[in-house]
Amino acid sequence: MYSSSSAAGHPPWQAQSSYAPNQNAYIQVPARQTFGAQPPVAQPNYYVPPQYMHHPSTDTPIAQPAPPAKKKMNWSPDVRDYVNRSFAQTTSIPGVTKEQIEAKLKEIITDATQTGRLDTMNWKELPLPQEMIQEERKRGLLAPVPHPSYVPSLPTTTSSPVTYQSHPDAPRKRKSAELAKEPGYTIVTPPWRTNAGPLADRVSFVPTEKRPKLDMSSSVSKSKASLESRRRRFEDARAGSNSPRTQESSRGASPEANMIGPIVGRCQKLEKNYFRLTSAPNPDDVRPLEVLRKTLELLKKKWRSDGNYVYICDQFKSLRQDLTVQHIKNDFTTSVYEYHARIALEKGDLGEYNQCQTQLRELYKQNLGGHPVEFKAYRILYFIHTCNQTDMNDVLSDLTLADKKEPAIRHALEVRSALALGNYHKFFKLYLTVPDMGAYLMDMFVERERLAALACLCRAYKPDVRLRFVTEELGFESDEEACQFIIDHVPEESPPLLEERDGDVRFLTGKVGSIFQVAKARAFGQVDIKGQI
Amino acid sequence: MGSIFADFQQAQRVGDGRLLASCLAPIDTARDPHRLQSFAQLSNYQTITADVRYHLIQAPNAVGLPKAEANAWVDIFVALWKTVKELVGLRQGNGTGDWVRAFDAYKELCNFLVRGYTNFGFQSWTVPCLYVAGKYIRMIAMKADSEGRAKDANGGTAFANGFSDDIISDVNKHEKLEQAAWTINRMFTVCLSDRSELAESRKWGIYSTTNLLFKTYFKLNSISLTRNVIRALEAASADLPPLELFPKSHRCTFKYYRGVIDFLQENYTDAEMHLTEALSLCHKDSLKNQEQILTYLIPAHVVNHHQLPNRALLAPHPSLSRIFTPLFDAVRTGSLAAFDEALTSAEPELVKRRVYLTLERTRDICTRNLFRKVFLAAGWEETKDPATGEVAGRIRRTRIRIEEFEAGMRVGYKGAKDVMIERDEVECFLANMIYKNMMKGYIARDRGIVVLSKAGAFPGTGV
Repeated sequence: MYSSSSAAGHPPWQAQSSYAPNQNAYIQVPARQTFGAQPPVAQPNYYVPPQYMHHPSTDTPIAQPAPPAKKKMNWSPDVRDYVNRSFAQTTSIPGVTKEQIEAKLKEIITDATQTGRLDTMNWKELPLPQEMIQEERKRGLLAPVPHPSYVPSLPTTTSSPVTYQSHPDAPRKRKSAELAKEPGYTIVTPPWRTNAGPLADRVSFVPTEKRPKLDMSSSVSKSKASLESRRRRFEDARAGSNSPRTQESSRGASPEANMIGPIVGRCQKLEKNYFRLTSAPNPDDVRPLEVLRKTLELLKKKWRSDGNYVYICDQFKSLRQDLTVQHIKNDFTTSVYEYHARIALEKGDLGEYNQCQTQLRELYKQNLGGHPVEFKAYRILYFIHTCNQTDMNDVLSDLTLADKKEPAIRHALEVRSALALGNYHKFFKLYLTVPDMGAYLMDMFVERERLAALACLCRAYKPDVRLRFVTEELGFESDEEACQFIIDHVPEESPPLLEERDGDVRFLTGKVGSIFQVAKARAFGQVDIKGQI
Repeated sequence: MGSIFADFQQAQRVGDGRLLASCLAPIDTARDPHRLQSFAQLSNYQTITADVRYHLIQAPNAVGLPKAEANAWVDIFVALWKTVKELVGLRQGNGTGDWVRAFDAYKELCNFLVRGYTNFGFQSWTVPCLYVAGKYIRMIAMKADSEGRAKDANGGTAFANGFSDDIISDVNKHEKLEQAAWTINRMFTVCLSDRSELAESRKWGIYSTTNLLFKTYFKLNSISLTRNVIRALEAASADLPPLELFPKSHRCTFKYYRGVIDFLQENYTDAEMHLTEALSLCHKDSLKNQEQILTYLIPAHVVNHHQLPNRALLAPHPSLSRIFTPLFDAVRTGSLAAFDEALTSAEPELVKRRVYLTLERTRDICTRNLFRKVFLAAGWEETKDPATGEVAGRIRRTRIRIEEFEAGMRVGYKGAKDVMIERDEVECFLANMIYKNMMKGYIARDRGIVVLSKAGAFPGTGV
């Protein structure tokens, strides 16, 4: 679109772009001539999704074909030479990708244009972008690790030059913040965007022929390909933030891989998809504590309004991950885990719930607020469900005397002891009075305990009992429910077990045989706790 | 020069595995009470390798070992020296020793040792070395962990390393012990995977390393991992020498752990079998070990057979007797109140020993004894000859009103606080007794009676 609207006004460096009609004339030149389109020979075998690169232009409304205030960009030979050198094969530094160089270059030129030093700067002496990136990384690694709870204040648009100099990534951070939060932010848009909107668009253009090339490439092994697609997903997730990567992810980043200290996030987006980390996290993708606080509020609201568990679970996992990589461990951490645990309970996602519960146990040990009593009670109920005597023993050994006096914990302990002694009478009374969200947990095992109780009842009572008795003893809400439960668990070929007599429904316990015994054994055999939604 | 090297040469000369193994123990011995001190003073970090090499290989009394093997031993003793250096520093208490460094050095020793077997042709008679090394790496690891925790308490708390998603990982608490478990696991594999002839096999070290591994997993509270070990043993059982041929000490410990593992998985039949065997193998003077075995054997036996231990069995073990006797006395008399009281007061101790949940089940026996008393109190009925209508004899009354059992439960709960007895709950307990075959008969709910079997209403109790 650019070439058609202003074909006469090509900036010189654009001459070799794949759009230009005379591109063949320069095909042999080894050095890169442009920011964007690459000669096919130098293509890396991975793919950068267009939405990642194009995002700025879709976000900024100035990306029109012919902006009225368009200035022509005539770069001096020095600048052009600098650009050429940046992309020359001989100056490349392993671990610094082309995209990163492009971004850095864009930043340098923009800065120079803004400050009016484009023509006065000594381009010959200026370090190449890749050298700058490397330098920044070194500084980033050597920089003293701040205290975990320290969160840098948000750089605002009026961020002082001090911030800029002391923190090489600050401008990018600011950009990503703007893009994420204020898409229609045009008043202070840097000139390179207003002036060369389509240019910026083209600068990061990636030819579409690349994709088939990747797919056809036989050298890409299957696992490599899947790694690739994983990386692509990452890029998608990052699409909103235009900040280039300061740390290479997945591969080729040996210095960061053994970095253990906490990092400080710079991401300002509230939502983020969860991906398991395979390398040191990139601070640009990690949200600092104050953002995470807003995230939690947002997620609470969304959960109440939408109730989309898959989404919420994913978001909570990324939230937890961000807390972990920044070593944030305080009452907020506890509340995140508690909230996630409750949601998981509500949806019966015991796998996720158990993860939260395990973490909560440790958090409570360090007195980080929250609701230890409530969750200790859940923990007891949970291990009743999993029938794990070893774990239950551990739970009991964790309890203090004060804990045992708490109503919720006492309730859970009574549930445990009632079941251990086969006291179904007491168990179902406790089932009806369970506090908080314990009901969700008890629902998990109430059916199998009903079967166990029925197996016991049928062995002990002869020849029959009133159905009403079953309803009351096994905590059913109505005779109908009790009746349905019995029918559901009795195979079709068995003789009728319910009979109406003297205006009463009788349950013929004497004729049941081993039906409920078998059903009970089956129910207890299938305690599946790993199943996650 | 240290006695360690003299022992080493002597052991190599005669092929004495135990003597050789004793060289690797970082302790003073009765024979040489200053063993560590003198070994530490042998050399310094600069010259230790050369010195060890001299003592092992070049000394006049040295046994000519193959070169690769001798070099492996040099590495081992250099690592031992580093460990001892730390330990002596610790003992002097002048801040020159460190448990973590001692652990790292001793772990190095273990790795060299394992490599000695896999790569450098260490012979099977040296296998006791594995046991000794495993034993001490475990001990040093626990020390290093507790030291580490003490330091941690002052500073920050441990964080999950690596790329884990959650704040806390379990790895930190027992970091060194977990590493020790890894090392011991390698020793286990070294023993298990040896394919040479039985007479010349490292398989003879299998149970000693297994026991160490069990011990470590128990300490780490990851008992589920023992299952893998057992599975590996069972898979290799055809190639292993019969258990009876192993030293008693190996067998006894192994059976004990097998039994406890079964016990914790609520497999009380197998648990009782293994534990009984362990008890019979246990040295008669090692009361501590017997007590350990009985801690699990008694509850397993009570649950399996409804038989309570007599006083003679518990007499030598006052601490066991203190927690078991009140409980079993209550079971004997059918006093539910006393039972609950005894169970609650001993709870922390029982939970610690992991027998609480099992002993809780013996409450059924207590209830059974109580109901049996109700049955006995119900008296006799005359039987009549169906033909003549004359009184032919008498039998116990087998139709008993539920109220009678309810009254019995009130007696059983005498002295207990906060207990409400409801008729439905009494029925529930009765139903449980019948369901568990501790009582024979049925409940006729409409008539409000329990009809008990005329032939043995309470099986196994004589009535």
